[in-house]
Amino acid sequence: MSEQTRRGRAVRWGVPIATVALVAGAIGAGPVIAAVQGDPVLPERTAAQLLADAVRATESGVKPMSGTVMQTASLGLPGLPEVAGMGGTSPAALLAGSHELKVWYGGEDRFRFALPGRMSETDLIVNGDQAWLWESGTNKATRIKGAGQAGPDHDRALPMATTPQQVADEALKRAEAGTAVSVSNTEKVAGRPAYQLVLTPKDGSSLVKEVKLALDGETFVPLRVQVYAKSAAEPAFEIGFTSVTFTPPAPDNFTFTPPAGAKVEEKSLADLGRRPEAGQERAEALKSEITTVGEGWTTVAVLPFSTRDLTDPAQGQDGRPGGQDATMVADALLKSARQVSGAWGSGKVIQTKLVSALLTDDGRLLVGAVTPEKLTEAAGRR
Amino acid sequence: MSTVSGQEAVSVGTGAAPLPGARAVGAPRAWLRLLGSEVGLTFRRPRNIAMLAVLALVPVLIGVALRTFGGPGETEGGPSVFGQVTGNGLFLTFAALSILVQLLLPVAVAVVAGDSVAGEAGLGTLRYLLAAPAGRTRLLGVKYANAVVFCLAAVAAVALSSLLVGVLLFPAGPITLLSGGTIPLLDGVLRIGVVVLYVTAGMAALAAVALAFSTMTEVAVGAIASTVGLVVVVQVLGVIPQLSVFQPYLLTHWWNGFDGVLRDPMATGEMGQGLLVFAAYIAVFGSIAWARFTGKDITC
Repeated sequence: MSEQTRRGRAVRWGVPIATVALVAGAIGAGPVIAAVQGDPVLPERTAAQLLADAVRATESGVKPMSGTVMQTASLGLPGLPEVAGMGGTSPAALLAGSHELKVWYGGEDRFRFALPGRMSETDLIVNGDQAWLWESGTNKATRIKGAGQAGPDHDRALPMATTPQQVADEALKRAEAGTAVSVSNTEKVAGRPAYQLVLTPKDGSSLVKEVKLALDGETFVPLRVQVYAKSAAEPAFEIGFTSVTFTPPAPDNFTFTPPAGAKVEEKSLADLGRRPEAGQERAEALKSEITTVGEGWTTVAVLPFSTRDLTDPAQGQDGRPGGQDATMVADALLKSARQVSGAWGSGKVIQTKLVSALLTDDGRLLVGAVTPEKLTEAAGRR
Repeated sequence: MSTVSGQEAVSVGTGAAPLPGARAVGAPRAWLRLLGSEVGLTFRRPRNIAMLAVLALVPVLIGVALRTFGGPGETEGGPSVFGQVTGNGLFLTFAALSILVQLLLPVAVAVVAGDSVAGEAGLGTLRYLLAAPAGRTRLLGVKYANAVVFCLAAVAAVALSSLLVGVLLFPAGPITLLSGGTIPLLDGVLRIGVVVLYVTAGMAALAAVALAFSTMTEVAVGAIASTVGLVVVVQVLGVIPQLSVFQPYLLTHWWNGFDGVLRDPMATGEMGQGLLVFAAYIAVFGSIAWARFTGKDITC
């Protein structure tokens, strides 16, 4: 073999190597392009101005828009692979992994949410006094009566799958004395320049490192909420738009007629919530027994608890129906519990990235977004 | 029979060499003629015809089984698309493709693409095809184009057979989309066409991988087996939850990402990303095949 052939061969293999480099470059190009373009710079605003603008924008009504929302949770719940294996529309499945939600928003009484799954889709379509829940997996269309209040009420029942607006409202309420607030004007979310409000708890025993809230630079609509835990660089919980356009969505998105052959049911909102009267009464009774220790970010809730109510805490915490999922999550959590004891007595500690819980042997449950040490301290403070 | 196309390649290569202008005009035509003869050979091979027949038979089996025993009830929690087949025959196409794209289609594509170069090398006919050194790139291009034509034929065979069986055994009519809306029958057939093209693109990406393997060996079975083995391994990797970070880079992850056509409005985001991944695989493995094939010594 001649020297020339050998050199020719080396040159030839340069082509696939260059191709691999090109593909790798294309994958990594996104951040680079963003860096070259530079950060978008919006007029500077203080946190108060920004919040006022946001409130004003909310009061005048959210502009019609459509987009894709991505929700990612890595809460560090132990034993979750089995939970993650459940269907995409199961509420408990939203506790782990990434989920996509499509949003079409035409106005307060005209919106559509679609939760796509593999070869299936769950839709909530509200158009004036008409509200439909469509589940393609079971070929079932449910007409929801009393649709006037449908939107907000249903959303509260599913706090993990709502639009960034509602989550942002929750986060805003928490901005209190114990929080350091800062604003940056160089953020970019879903391709739009945005302000970012960073809330940092001042108390060192909080498990939350910071909460970041991105507001659109033009419309002040919340575009993204990220909750960072102290133990991880990646957000423990994130919900935000990956793409968004502020143009009114096509009207056919809000029309729904049950397709031929589908099961059609009619349910009132109370049925849909599946909250039996007795359960609700018990929940109310429980609410009156809850006491809190501390305030702000490090609030610890103390409630009476016995092994008989094993699945109840899961239901009480998020107020979400779905007994079976709650039981599964509770079981997975209990398996990971760690035995602790001290001057206050003894019990079991369950720790996730954002929330710790302490089950004392004398029948109390302490929950809070704080370190286990803070919980045991609260337990001693009877 | 391979020698026929070999002679053509030789005559075209030597005849056009002294006249660059004539070659530029004649090249596409010669290329097409070479492709035509390759495709003719591929579709005349009993083995390939048998594979197409098996692929076309699967939708018939699924259709007859669903017709006889009924669709899965909602309590069984099977893939909902099977339940929809009994309501509308057109869904059989989506059901059949989403099953076959997992293994049977890739195997058929791997057999044809993996055999394309290694098979000729094994039979000793490759050196006749390569009499002109400048012809190697073109020959590889023809081999790959031939594999892509077979991909399209295999996917179309599944789709047409499903359409036929679906319309014969089940009611056909306006299609209910996953979002709950309905579209006319003709619109539905058009969307099936989109799915066929998408799945073909996915298979074409696998064909590039198989072609790259094919240039590295003279044993056709080796190239075919390593391609099929790779598909299986990658699919296993794709279902391990701890490795979910790598999923977007796996070829198999995107093969059945065509359910977006059944949404309203049509969700093209996932399919667009899938096509980008397919293109990346074709570019990388196509260039590997080219580097290997144009630089290797053909000894037999």
